[in-house]
Amino acid sequence: MKGLQKFIYTILGSKKKKRMVIILTAVAFFATLMMFPTKMVLAKMLPGKSDNTFSIYVDTPTGSSIEQTKKVSECVLDMLQNEKNIVNMELFEGQGIPLDYAGLVKGSAMKHTENVAEIAVNLTDKHARKEPSFLMVQRLRPVVKKKCEPLVKGSTIKFVEQPAGPPTLASIVVEVHGENIDKIRKLSKEVAAILTKTDGLVDVDVMADDIYDKYELVPDKEKIARSGLSVEQVNNILYLAFEGMEIAHKNSKDNPDQIPMFLILSKESKSLESHSEDALVSKISSLNLMNQKGMLVPLSEVVHIRKVKSSPSIMHKDLERMINVVAETDMVSQVYPLLDAREKMIEYFSKDYNVTKEPGMSTYMFDLHLTDKKTGEKFLLRWDGEMKVTLDTFRDLGGAFIAALVLIFLLLVVYYKSFVLSGIILLGSFLSIIGVILGHWVANWFTSETFFLTATSLIGFIALMGISSRNSLLLIDFAKSLMECRGMEKREAIAVATATRAKPIALTAVAIILGSALLASDPVFGGLGVALISGTVAAVFVSLLFVPVLMHNAKAMDFEPADHCDVKNISITK
Amino acid sequence: MEKKHEYQVTDYAGKLAKTFLRNPLTSVLGVFLLIMGYLSLSIMPREEDPQIAISGGGVVVAMPGATPREIENIIINPLERKLREVKGIEHIYGQAFNNYGTVSVMYYIGENREDANLKLYDKVMQNMDKMPKGVMQPLVKPFDIDIDIPILTFAFYAKDKKVDDVKLFKIVRKLQQKINAVKNVAKTTVKGARKEQYNIEVDMGKLSAYHLSLGQIMKAVQSVAVDVPDVKGRTKKNELVIFGVKNAIESVEDVKSVIVAQYMGSPIYLRDVAKVTDGMDIQNFKTAKLRFKEDEHAKSLGQERSQVTLTVSKLAGTNAVFVAEDVLEVLKEHQDELTKEGIGYIITRNYGERANEAVNELMEHLVITIIIIALMLVFALGWRESIIVTFTVPAILAVTLFVAYLSGQTINRITLFAFLLSLGLLVDAAIIVIENIHRHLHAHDVDQKEMDELLIEATDEIGAPTNVATLAIILTMVPMAFVGGMMGSFMKPIPLNVPVALIASLFVAYIFTPYLSLKLLKKPTHKHHHKKGGK
Repeated sequence: MKGLQKFIYTILGSKKKKRMVIILTAVAFFATLMMFPTKMVLAKMLPGKSDNTFSIYVDTPTGSSIEQTKKVSECVLDMLQNEKNIVNMELFEGQGIPLDYAGLVKGSAMKHTENVAEIAVNLTDKHARKEPSFLMVQRLRPVVKKKCEPLVKGSTIKFVEQPAGPPTLASIVVEVHGENIDKIRKLSKEVAAILTKTDGLVDVDVMADDIYDKYELVPDKEKIARSGLSVEQVNNILYLAFEGMEIAHKNSKDNPDQIPMFLILSKESKSLESHSEDALVSKISSLNLMNQKGMLVPLSEVVHIRKVKSSPSIMHKDLERMINVVAETDMVSQVYPLLDAREKMIEYFSKDYNVTKEPGMSTYMFDLHLTDKKTGEKFLLRWDGEMKVTLDTFRDLGGAFIAALVLIFLLLVVYYKSFVLSGIILLGSFLSIIGVILGHWVANWFTSETFFLTATSLIGFIALMGISSRNSLLLIDFAKSLMECRGMEKREAIAVATATRAKPIALTAVAIILGSALLASDPVFGGLGVALISGTVAAVFVSLLFVPVLMHNAKAMDFEPADHCDVKNISITK
Repeated sequence: MEKKHEYQVTDYAGKLAKTFLRNPLTSVLGVFLLIMGYLSLSIMPREEDPQIAISGGGVVVAMPGATPREIENIIINPLERKLREVKGIEHIYGQAFNNYGTVSVMYYIGENREDANLKLYDKVMQNMDKMPKGVMQPLVKPFDIDIDIPILTFAFYAKDKKVDDVKLFKIVRKLQQKINAVKNVAKTTVKGARKEQYNIEVDMGKLSAYHLSLGQIMKAVQSVAVDVPDVKGRTKKNELVIFGVKNAIESVEDVKSVIVAQYMGSPIYLRDVAKVTDGMDIQNFKTAKLRFKEDEHAKSLGQERSQVTLTVSKLAGTNAVFVAEDVLEVLKEHQDELTKEGIGYIITRNYGERANEAVNELMEHLVITIIIIALMLVFALGWRESIIVTFTVPAILAVTLFVAYLSGQTINRITLFAFLLSLGLLVDAAIIVIENIHRHLHAHDVDQKEMDELLIEATDEIGAPTNVATLAIILTMVPMAFVGGMMGSFMKPIPLNVPVALIASLFVAYIFTPYLSLKLLKKPTHKHHHKKGGK
């Protein structure tokens, strides 16, 4: 401890050495900050976590039959059949798997059409298997998609992992807002094309119905009236014939539910020859209706058939028409592909539209406004999904951080009744950010996947503020007592205080480092652990070197020996 | 023993130390805290992730025969405008389909769920008079995450070829009733079920040959498939005589022999024009399949089987671990019965077990960390000091757990991370106190002082700066409680528990550290053995 005391004492003695310490600290600070723009440290809200399960969503184009959907999903199942880490797989056709957190926001519970299927894949316990679930998904995704998606044209297969934190619709969501439905459909397809071409993005999907051919039976009202029928009757019989209806029920004491009686045309008699107008006409000509007089009238007599396009459903968000385009990230942070894709979009849309960026700073700052050069119609490309949540969270945590700074500052001002001393403590604790960023950079070297700076790292940093301000606080307090009660000279008092306080500071630091060591291995809270460990190391250096220098420079540190203090109250050892 | 001047206590730290130092109840308090903590740990509900108060709901309005554009104009737009009047809604999503439209609302995170549901229902009902004509009664469906997300799912499958899908369903349905009766089970659903149904598949060719229409067949079946209640008659002596018409349809044979028409004087039975079978719901395309490893060492999954999935969810605020255990217990009771029927099952989801594992794993980490810190302190301060500090950790955690239990929190990953995070911080107060005691014990004026006085003085001396420093850390945590959104909710256990742990750490450090030091530490006998530094 004597050594440290002497070391500090010498530094404080020379102006040049003091300046050296300050400059070195400043250099270290700016060098670490530069790690963000140079992408040496990457930011993400939450990293992926290895889980014992993941799910696969199969979507065939709107209007596909359950058999077509089944074909694609069976292909997926067959591909995974021989995976050694899969314990079981469940296929749910025409519906979602039992609801989970991911499905909750992805609309899994709303699925009830023939063109959807979901597969739940359960894996062996994550501790007993080498490959984490996210790497497994990354490996399987391209293989499965390549083989199975082409089976039914226009199908999409999505691999859905359990979110590490709160669930979101997708990593990247682009909302295409606009009044003109056809235009936003077109825009959303173009956006999807750009996203598909962007590196690091997978499972791109436009969340809109596909348009398919359908036939409209137009009732001829006059003919219907004259043949003694009604339009309602026509509708009912048609539905009864092809969709079937539960026409009656039987209650039973041996059966847990009522037994319905279901009336429908037999499979052979209702199946059409082909997907054509003629086939439909010939089918309905043999379907007869009975009029009030008991005469049979063929259905084809009272309606005529028209081929039309299906009308897709319309989505609104906050009272505006829009279409979602979603994409998942493939083991990378969503920030960088997003910026990439956004650049490409600006370039691509500049041909036909005037592209303007969202003015001002907000969590919608990446949004693009498009104005059609010819018609003047306005469209909006809004980034949502995990990116928006990330920005919101980082903004809020940033706010919390500033609030924490202000609160600490006020507390210190109340305690010391000096702005300068409080400022020194605050500056000292802020500098622990050097360690936080550097720690992530180092951690990235030791992990096989990218080690992201996450929301939990920020929480760690905020907690660090308090810890490192405690170090400086104890230091100042002690030096102050030494000067007041022992009448020590300032330079010596600071050196002695630093040396005496070094032990508890180091002890608590080691306690924090050891306490966080196990935290660092967790995928989600790893950021917090690393932030605490490396930040604490930095904080120790800052409080034992940088803070004493500032203290020596500060006029507010000039305490006169006071009479009131009890000499017995202070004891120095070692 | 009178000394020249007794030490004047200046801080709460000293006061606390003085009050509890010789108090016999101090040890009782310590034991009480530990027991409270242990009890809280074992009865607090466990879950993997903390609950996020997501509230929202959907309104479904049907209008048969309308196109999406029509639905948008008639239903979605006016409904969306009305829902804008509700306070606390973050986003409104409208969707117009053929024949129906849905409007769902998402409230800001943290909005009270019951209030949110009520407000939505209220707003829709208030405006019922503005409903357009030809629109069916709107359905208001609030989201309920606790009840909607099952904690357990089982896949039942037929081991025996003889068991068909309908029988499988019947047995699962019976089991569902039993499982739903388990304490704290909220909702159970059956997915992928095929139900029994009498299928009447009409041959169109025969229909025209007999000169019949579909409508006639429908009426014919409906006219016999009626249930009527028993009627009461009276005798002359005013006694009741009960009699009733037996249901005309008892089996699928009865359906087959329904007379649909008379043709040239002879009756035409339903079986003449249609294939009538006792089968399953052919119109239901929602099926479920299962593939699994039939034995442990199998290289690949077995063949595909059809299955019925039973999902079980729990009531809000109850312990997933206990509920899951209870349900599995019930299932085990029915094991023999199921085997006899030729039905097997596998557990495809068990959040209770997952929560328990996550919690236990972190508890293990917590214990390991405490041991590591204790070892470090043995080297830095000596083993007696190390024991003292190590004792304070469970005491602090016990207090924090107890407070968390009282405030209705659950034990989840984030709570335990909050503990792990605070672990490094909360030994600080104790370390600082013990270090100062240690220092005083080895100071040159040690033999002039009584042990009591020395301990109080050592505690009191660092009281003020430690209070301020701990307060500073607490202050950094407080703003985090105001972080909004899902992430804020997700992280909430950290700002809720860390400050409590820190405050507890102060009290424990001031009360128990001097107390235990008195019991465990002795003044060094070799006082003037080495010359002390400083001045």
